[in-house]
Amino acid sequence: MAPIAAPFPSGPWFEELVARATADTAAMERLGIAEFRLGAEVVGASGARRLFGLEFDGYDITATGPTDEAAFAPDVVFSGSLEAWTEMIGWIEANGPADSAHSLNGLSIAGVPFQVRSSDAMGSDKFYRYMGTLQAVFDAASADAPVPAVAN
Amino acid sequence: MSLGLDLGYLERSARGEFDLGWLRNTDSEWGVRAVPSKTGLTLRDISIGSYGVIPEHAPRRTMAPRGSDIESDVPDMGYTVNDKAEVWSDNVLDLYEEAVSRQWSATRDIPWSELVPLDPDVEHAMCQLATVLSEVEMVAADFPAKWLWRINHDFVEAKMFLCTQVMDEARHTEVFRKRALANGGGLGRATAVIERFLQLILDAETYDEGSALMHLLGEGIVLSLFRAGAALAPSPVEQQIFRLCMQDEARHVAYGTMHLRYRLAKDPSMAADFHDYLDRGEEMIAMIFSTPEIVEPTAILAAGSVEAACALGAEAGDVLRHQIIGDYLKRCDHAGLDRRGRLHLPDAIIEGVPGAKAEVAA
Repeated sequence: MAPIAAPFPSGPWFEELVARATADTAAMERLGIAEFRLGAEVVGASGARRLFGLEFDGYDITATGPTDEAAFAPDVVFSGSLEAWTEMIGWIEANGPADSAHSLNGLSIAGVPFQVRSSDAMGSDKFYRYMGTLQAVFDAASADAPVPAVAN
Repeated sequence: MSLGLDLGYLERSARGEFDLGWLRNTDSEWGVRAVPSKTGLTLRDISIGSYGVIPEHAPRRTMAPRGSDIESDVPDMGYTVNDKAEVWSDNVLDLYEEAVSRQWSATRDIPWSELVPLDPDVEHAMCQLATVLSEVEMVAADFPAKWLWRINHDFVEAKMFLCTQVMDEARHTEVFRKRALANGGGLGRATAVIERFLQLILDAETYDEGSALMHLLGEGIVLSLFRAGAALAPSPVEQQIFRLCMQDEARHVAYGTMHLRYRLAKDPSMAADFHDYLDRGEEMIAMIFSTPEIVEPTAILAAGSVEAACALGAEAGDVLRHQIIGDYLKRCDHAGLDRRGRLHLPDAIIEGVPGAKAEVAA
């Protein structure tokens, strides 16, 4: 599978990411239900911030496109520079599912190059509760990224 | 002992003279038609009508299903936790569904064949961490199991969630024991200080006390350890182990945080009790922060070798220390218990953590 054709960051890029991640419905469902709103924030060189929403509702995942934080009310914002985003996605495209150093968790645990921002503890804890699902979505940027085989 | 065997009924029913009282003369709500939601028929979907009403104080101490037509002479089961606020959290129905849907197998779902040979010191560090985690995780099964039979059946959803936690923790104990034995290492050292903290949880005099110490404090720390473990994983095996455990642990912490919030909302005067519980728990945590068997393996895994960890000193563990204390303060705050400025942790441990010191909070 070729890298996502739409430019990053853009609404169509996130839509294609979700479409790839959810193509194998059964595999995604085996990861379990999630109730979560993630804001993916891309900070440009000028400091301008663009937010893209991902909504997890049971087994459904929807890319809500460009949005603003107040309107989307995310549980968590995963924020990084355009450079950091491009590097993470490029690594996954080239190598497959993220290793620990290139995972959402690994890249945000020290607060650099990504930050996890939430208005309360329950929001940030959801980032941990649904980490497998979240990572599977972003791993779908890979040319060949099977959803992890966690089954009931 | 007479169980009330009605021999006459056996004769009457044999003749086809059924009682049918349960069919014709029942007081439970009838005509209920719960509608499945998107993910199936959930606990929230069936929490309707009289069946969705959970009493603040359970009127009986029986195993009879809440909402059923209960005979007057049912025996007293001796439950000691009979107030909803003692165990409830507003997210417990959803957490149960989530727990059931996100179960996994330590045998099948970890790619064990992808383990890689590690430097002997790093393997030893991983095995020591696995030893500690295999040890501490089981208390989070023992504690709910100890209390489950004391909790009134009217709060069955909370009991069901705690049952999922027991299973989760059994799996965590299993997966870390397996990791320690799977890559040329073995189990490391079990320490008295960790055992004393586990004893504090297990010997808690009330569910409130034990839940605060375990769900909020202890599991919050372990959640941070899992997050660090996933970030430092040397192979896809450890990455998957820590990631899956992290998801489970975060559910337990979410229950503990929201249980404390519910408890304090119902009775704000209990804040002083919870402060006392956590004062004692933090004193034990301070000792754990200075326990080589936890601090050093984590530092070595972060730095990549003993030499690199020694060169970094405390810096190797700073990220983890900051995260543990920062997340803990946020959870306490969300629950309605402000621990900022009153942590029972030495300055050396809370140094640099925003809001941890009294003068910063003031």
